[in-house]
Amino acid sequence: MNMRRPQKTCPFCESRVRFVDYKDERTLGRFITDHGKILPSRLSGVCARHQRQLSGAIKRARYLALIPYIRGLQG
Amino acid sequence: MPRQYEAVYVFDSTLEDAAINEKLGRFHGLLGNPGDMSLNHWGRRPLAYPIGRRETGYYVIARFGAEPTVLPEYERAIKLDDAVVRHLITLFEHELGAPAMSEEELALANRRRDDDDEDEE
Repeated sequence: MNMRRPQKTCPFCESRVRFVDYKDERTLGRFITDHGKILPSRLSGVCARHQRQLSGAIKRARYLALIPYIRGLQG
Repeated sequence: MPRQYEAVYVFDSTLEDAAINEKLGRFHGLLGNPGDMSLNHWGRRPLAYPIGRRETGYYVIARFGAEPTVLPEYERAIKLDDAVVRHLITLFEHELGAPAMSEEELALANRRRDDDDEDEE
């Protein structure tokens, strides 16, 4: 039985991004869930190297109030 | 040896532009004589979540080269300033300015990835 999940290509590698920018909230916004959690690489297909950069970038962007810590849980 | 830094400031958006520029001048004066200083004003934009009662902030991004020894005093001045809602100083030596990945590097990255996958099985 083939348990291997289908291979996805890393969107950052595809666009030849070397370092993920914490100020680019539009790109980072693609890699967080509706609630604002960091999307796992298993779902997004991001390679390990870029996923490490991405998680750091998202945390920096959250601190600077560029992207929310939590979303959709008001009231 | 001077190092390249990037600083992001989020100012209180009720501040006048002139006051913001004056504060930036004061902060950057503490860096001695920063080489290749570049400022990028994003201007007023909504915050992703309210900070205190503030809903908007004035964003400024500064890149400069400075001696690491002058940073503590510079950062202390920023911290003590109530008009700065948030600030972040990061090393900017490898980032964004780096050339895009070459074909070889891409191939190497892909090969590594394939190797990792084989380990999983």
